[in-house]
Amino acid sequence: MPEAPLLEIRNLCKRFPARQGREPPPWVIRDLTFSVNDGEFLTIIGPSGAGKSTLLNMIAQIDVASGGEIIFQGTRIAADDPKAMRPGLDRRIGYVTQDDLLLPWRTTIDNVLFALEVQGRLDDKSRAHAAMLIEAVGLKGYERYYPHELSGGMRKRAALIRTLVYDPPVILMDEPFAAVDAQTRMQLQEDLLRLWSLGRKTIVFVTHDIAEAIVLGDRTLVLTRQPTRIAAEHVIPFPRPRDVKHFFATPGFADIYERIRAEVQ
Amino acid sequence: MRWRKHLDRLVVLVVLVALWQVASYILGSYWVSSPWEVTSRFFASLWSGELIRQSGYTIEESFVGAVVGGVPAVVLPFLLRRSPIMTAILDPFMVGGYGAPKLALAPLFILWFGIGTESKIALVASVLFFVVYFTTLSGVRALDAKLVQMAQVMGASEHQVARHIVFPAAIPNIFAGFRIGLPYAIGAAVIAELISSNRGLGYLVQVGAMNFDTTQCFVAIAAATLIVHAAGWMVDATERLLLRWRPAGDSLVPASGN
Repeated sequence: MPEAPLLEIRNLCKRFPARQGREPPPWVIRDLTFSVNDGEFLTIIGPSGAGKSTLLNMIAQIDVASGGEIIFQGTRIAADDPKAMRPGLDRRIGYVTQDDLLLPWRTTIDNVLFALEVQGRLDDKSRAHAAMLIEAVGLKGYERYYPHELSGGMRKRAALIRTLVYDPPVILMDEPFAAVDAQTRMQLQEDLLRLWSLGRKTIVFVTHDIAEAIVLGDRTLVLTRQPTRIAAEHVIPFPRPRDVKHFFATPGFADIYERIRAEVQ
Repeated sequence: MRWRKHLDRLVVLVVLVALWQVASYILGSYWVSSPWEVTSRFFASLWSGELIRQSGYTIEESFVGAVVGGVPAVVLPFLLRRSPIMTAILDPFMVGGYGAPKLALAPLFILWFGIGTESKIALVASVLFFVVYFTTLSGVRALDAKLVQMAQVMGASEHQVARHIVFPAAIPNIFAGFRIGLPYAIGAAVIAELISSNRGLGYLVQVGAMNFDTTQCFVAIAAATLIVHAAGWMVDATERLLLRWRPAGDSLVPASGN
């Protein structure tokens, strides 16, 4: 383990502002502390409504914290000052959201190249990289299709590689595979693990699916209900590469699954 | 059954023309010109070039007015997007301007800009501006904030967000504004010509009425109607070209025809 973690969350708090004349709403997140190491695949699991999306929004700098600190590569981010927020932290934090949020007026290829385009990094090398990613997730032949012409699984793949293509050091993922069928989800998990093994990015992956948290992660954090805290932490000991489709048969899987299931209320 | 629909339309057309003919017969062609007279005068006037020349003036005024009124109406909501306070300050004035009867401004515009094209352009612009402003504004406001955040996370600047996210998202609303506003705007050009002018389709109507020549009035009105539909058709065609990315049958204002 490296000495300094890549990303540190310290005593992070969140409550939404009170409506006029009402009691302030309860804390969504209270004193949440954890860290993410460089190159680590961290999965976070929690019941729905546990503020998982809010947590990722705060790390991605598109939502303001009510207290606490976020430290990235040793530098403190002003997480609680809306004026100082820099979404994506100068392209160093990528974010794959629950909705694919593809731009409906852009074709698959133009969606995948969007980040490179606005960052002014569109050249032969980055185009070739994009073409490689498109092929790796089986979207070859669909480059000129608009999002509404793609299936749900294809849209998820396009949304995934659209962030991978510009290579941010950390990628946040908010239940990116929640809205697809079980078969497609396994395929997407396999794709993600294969892509991850190529680049070994740091990934923070939020899910409410226990099996998904185990099969993907190096380490899993279990969150409580609101106000959100860490209920437990598990190091996932299984070697990589992992066989997604037969992972439930791996010795020890059932044991860790049961332990986590008991902790997720 | 496509042919059945067209056949039924033909039947309705025949009935309408027959009713017109009957009205003309009963009231006298002096008051209501007959379909045949109007049709033959229409083509005679078309061949002589007179109808095309007069239509040209109306088209020119409408087109220049659409640019003068439409462009700021599209640009302004984009400039105001980042300042809700400014939008709120302007709002009552925009609502007031939208509600004001612009056709009543025609005599004033003629006083200020003369009886030439300028007064008509001003009227067309004032009619179109408010309609396009409000439809564009609603498009800019209805924008999915998540799309903007996604683009910002990926490193898009404010300018890039406006160009790559807000503008494409608002295009359907911009076109809806032109689709709704253009018939009124072209109508305004005709009305202004009618009040005071020495050319244009409105002038033809005015002269026709003065000479008790209802045929000429009908011909000019028919020409103005055709211009409105041609303009609508061009807006639709441009929209289709720009909105190829949309699923079929997903338009804010139904396209004319079919």
